[in-house]
Amino acid sequence: MTLRLIGIFALAAAFAGAAQTQAPSKSPASAKAASPAPAASKGVPRAADGHPDLSGIWTNVTITPLERPRELAGKEFFTPQEAVEYEKTHVRNRDDRDAIKGTNADVTNAYNDFWWDSGTKVVKTRRTSIIVDPPDGRIPALTLHRQSQLRATADARRARCTRPGCGLENNGQPGPADGPEDRPLMERCLSFGNAAPMLPTAYNNNYEIVQTPGFVGIDVEMVHQMRRIPLDGSPHVASNVRLWVGDSRGRWEGDTLVIDTTNFTPDTSFRGSDENLHLIERLTRIDADTILYRFTIDDPTAFTKPWTGEIPFVKASGPLYEYACHEGNLGMTGILAGARADEKKAAENAAKKGAN
Amino acid sequence: MRIPLLAIALTAAALATSAPALAHHAFAAEFDANKPVKLRGVVTKMDWINPHSWIHIDVKNPDGSVTNWMIECGSPNTLFRRGFTKDSLPAGAEIVVDGYMAKDGGNRANGRDVTFRDGKKLFLGSSNPDGEK
Repeated sequence: MTLRLIGIFALAAAFAGAAQTQAPSKSPASAKAASPAPAASKGVPRAADGHPDLSGIWTNVTITPLERPRELAGKEFFTPQEAVEYEKTHVRNRDDRDAIKGTNADVTNAYNDFWWDSGTKVVKTRRTSIIVDPPDGRIPALTLHRQSQLRATADARRARCTRPGCGLENNGQPGPADGPEDRPLMERCLSFGNAAPMLPTAYNNNYEIVQTPGFVGIDVEMVHQMRRIPLDGSPHVASNVRLWVGDSRGRWEGDTLVIDTTNFTPDTSFRGSDENLHLIERLTRIDADTILYRFTIDDPTAFTKPWTGEIPFVKASGPLYEYACHEGNLGMTGILAGARADEKKAAENAAKKGAN
Repeated sequence: MRIPLLAIALTAAALATSAPALAHHAFAAEFDANKPVKLRGVVTKMDWINPHSWIHIDVKNPDGSVTNWMIECGSPNTLFRRGFTKDSLPAGAEIVVDGYMAKDGGNRANGRDVTFRDGKKLFLGSSNPDGEK
């Protein structure tokens, strides 16, 4: 049961969360140890101030999963041949999607794969998971405290859920919506949970980085989130100030840009993280076409230990398109109309039963 | 023996990680799995709304009257990047939509599969985005 609950939340978090945290702090030793900065090669483009030039348009689209599939336990890298086989199978399966018609799973999948842009290749490093630490490539267990917190929230929501398949109908939320505030952050266009850390999702896996000596800005195409990263040594904002993409501060450690992010909103969560999340990201331009991106999730109240992922960002062509997420607002209207239709049907069924 | 085992593991892993990507919002909250619908109609317009575009089609009913249906689709960004433009699906094109009807009974459906009259799929093929080299 617990596992199932966590599964629901992991799902919801994957699509609806960002992260959060509290006090500005230095990277803990454990997180640092997990994220040794790779060396930038000498030939990489450099900005006028001598630092590697990270500016430009990049993509991190890949089919490599965040967590290593159980079937590949103990296997950190694909051989070139295995990578090709994996890619072929993955893409064929996706294209030949054979979800059974007339199921909620099929409705949720929505439409032909043409509308998605979730990649066809594993990462250039041929890793079998984005997570590199712990070595098993899996997200560490949630703390007991966090598990019970999530369970309590789910129970409260589930009280409103009366139909089979209810959780799936609600994007992993265990209860139906009484209003827009009940819907996931993703549907409300507040956060897709892929800006901090920056991880690929179903489409729009594109980023534009603007770099100056005192500031780095990152435009995350999915849901058009902007990250503002001062490099001036200033401290994080006060701990009572909370932001959807957190409060980021950057610094150069040799040729690596290190971004330290805290102060996420308490309403968002990345894979189960809570308000104490401290996110550390490291960007190293390793060649003309690649930035190696590493991130560490350090959140001692939510996870039993810190964990680290690595994914290459590859040069891409532009432009980035605006993501006017609630343009038209038709989806939310349709969702709420659907919930009212369900309620009406349930009331009619109840009345019929009463009459019998 | 080693190769087949490895192949099985690779296949299982690829299957395990290619579960359907969820749409931006819960289609199952909006559309009814018990109401699959097949609509044949003529495109009247396409709304390039982010992140869900809408195709409008006129569908002729058995009694000869015409109903305008709205079909919910995916993100324009993905289409732009593939070279799909406003000319790719002109008004007047005849299409067939396999999808699911809105729960509230409105003339809306989600477009699971969209095909031209000759059976050619309108949207077909895997992504081939920038940067995948």
